[in-house]
Amino acid sequence: MLDSARGSRRPPPLFHRIFIANRGEVAARIARACDALGITPVFAVSTADRGAAYTEGRETVCIGPARSSHSYLDARSLVQAAVQSRCTAVHPGWGFLSENPAFAALCAAHGLTFIGPPPPVMHLMGKKTPAKQAMRAAGLTMIPGSDGILRDLDHAQAVADQIGYPVLLKAESGGGGRGMRIARSASEVAQAYNDAGAEARAAFGDDRLYLERLIEGGRHVEIQILADRYGDVVHLGERDCTVQRSHQKLIEESPSPVLPEPERERCLAAAVRAAASIGYVGAGTMEFLLDEGGVLRFMEMNTRLQVEHCVSEQRSGRDLVVEQIYVAAGHPLRFSQQEVHLQGHAIECRINAEDPSDDFRPAPGVITRWHVPTGDPELRVDTHVSAGYEIPPNYDSLICKVIARGPTRDAAIDRMIHALGAMVCEGVPTTVAMHLTILRSRAFREHRYDTRKIPGWST
Amino acid sequence: MHPSSPQTQKYAQVLRARAVARSDGTIALHAPAVGLWRGQPAAGALLREGAVIGQIEQLGALYELVCPAGAHGIVAPPDPAHEPLSRRPVAYDDLLLILAPQAAAAVAAAIAAAAPAAAGHGLSQRAPSSGRFYGRPSPERPPFLRVGDQVHEGQVIGLLEVMKTFTRIHYGGGELPTPARVTALLVQDDADVAAGDPLIAVEPLS
Repeated sequence: MLDSARGSRRPPPLFHRIFIANRGEVAARIARACDALGITPVFAVSTADRGAAYTEGRETVCIGPARSSHSYLDARSLVQAAVQSRCTAVHPGWGFLSENPAFAALCAAHGLTFIGPPPPVMHLMGKKTPAKQAMRAAGLTMIPGSDGILRDLDHAQAVADQIGYPVLLKAESGGGGRGMRIARSASEVAQAYNDAGAEARAAFGDDRLYLERLIEGGRHVEIQILADRYGDVVHLGERDCTVQRSHQKLIEESPSPVLPEPERERCLAAAVRAAASIGYVGAGTMEFLLDEGGVLRFMEMNTRLQVEHCVSEQRSGRDLVVEQIYVAAGHPLRFSQQEVHLQGHAIECRINAEDPSDDFRPAPGVITRWHVPTGDPELRVDTHVSAGYEIPPNYDSLICKVIARGPTRDAAIDRMIHALGAMVCEGVPTTVAMHLTILRSRAFREHRYDTRKIPGWST
Repeated sequence: MHPSSPQTQKYAQVLRARAVARSDGTIALHAPAVGLWRGQPAAGALLREGAVIGQIEQLGALYELVCPAGAHGIVAPPDPAHEPLSRRPVAYDDLLLILAPQAAAAVAAAIAAAAPAAAGHGLSQRAPSSGRFYGRPSPERPPFLRVGDQVHEGQVIGLLEVMKTFTRIHYGGGELPTPARVTALLVQDDADVAAGDPLIAVEPLS
């Protein structure tokens, strides 16, 4: 199989029809890759997205009501819809079921190719301490901590004393910030241990905890990976996603403006080796925290396409969704690491329908006027909205991503400022003004910020 | 799959169609889930709340599809755009059936009027025992009877499945006229019936 796939003159055929088990911007993005490959995309739509402009002229299957638990999160309905619309592959996009190994396995059980990694790899990387153990074994640098589940309070106290304060106690099954407590000194460990355990037991039915050194105010850096089924892995460089608001990324850029060159080289190579060591397939992202000492420490892996993948695409000239489809169809990687040329500086702003002057209140509604600048090859706008589009209240508030590239960081930022200034969106408030404030701030230009503080923006 | 109580509905064996009242007084039944719809009731069948209107097949599992509260009436003739399929793929909220309550009321009135006569003259054929009634020889075949058809003594009008055994139901017996004309199908395909339930209403020919 391996040799025949690599050596045969006729590559495996691509899919004829791909089912898009997602909505909005990512659905439109996947469809664009399908169009480029001559594949017919079939969109899953809820009743809230039925008739939306981004599905115009497309095949759609209504899979459920607006509420996502009954539509975009209903694995059985999605797989049935994919089968009965004669698709042979499913692209999960991001969010919703994209990192759900049971969904990937259900697709496979019904003869559909899930465009993503094998379910066991997704399962491994979706669990906190097993994922960290696998990545530690593969040679990535970790945040100092308990290296696994804490046995009891005495164990927690001993580990905390050894690695130094402050420490963070985290629930193995946690998420959304729950089941987490900080202990700033030895006297706080018992309280934090008991509180975090109780909260985790109530929220997740699992009170297993682990412990890590609390790194305050680091920078968020992540590495884009692409792997085929035959063990080949390449990276497409790193992205710096430090500008965040309550753990939501606002601006992403590549390369990271503050990452020391030796650490970049070391970490990119280590990430490729780590992905290969777990048998990763497809596009994936390893997220790191860049600490004050300039060391990248592994946090987690996202086993899917990411919202900010466009940043790496603009620097590399590669289409990650097209490559995902080739890999899923059984093709070997179509380029080697030496053929990945990362050029210039790329930056992305996520434009949300939110009101920054009202504590970022999400603002569904009808977009009455819409204009985005076009014609500049160094500027890319990914969106599913247009004039007349009604942003439904049921889903996230992302309406558009603007990606600008330039020979230098300053040039890319200037191009972005120009583009955002020329953008018109009326009918709903957007975060454009906030992005302009950030981009024009000295703190952003001079890298004086971390994940806790939005540069140039006082909240 | 139904907006209410996700946990209990998710793996339930029964799905309720969604009823939407239309401006012309008819009731539209919409699909409550994506899947393959089998065992569609024939045009002219009388439906009421709880009546089985086929099954939704989702990933090989069958969910019984039933009429929701407030929906009753006679099944309108199918949309000619949909060729009859034994398993019709439907999306969530697709239109399945249109029910005409007025026609149902008229039939009910006719049955009520005929009821005393039926007792005396046997104007409805009744189920010989309880079981599951099938109005067609197999899901992909046309029904045994349609409204307006002629029936005569001995003709097969349906199948009754009792404990996995199928028996033919023959027209006739008692005071039933022969030949006769079918005026209503009182039980839809694939519905559970009790012994003595009226299956079809007939009137004497001539």
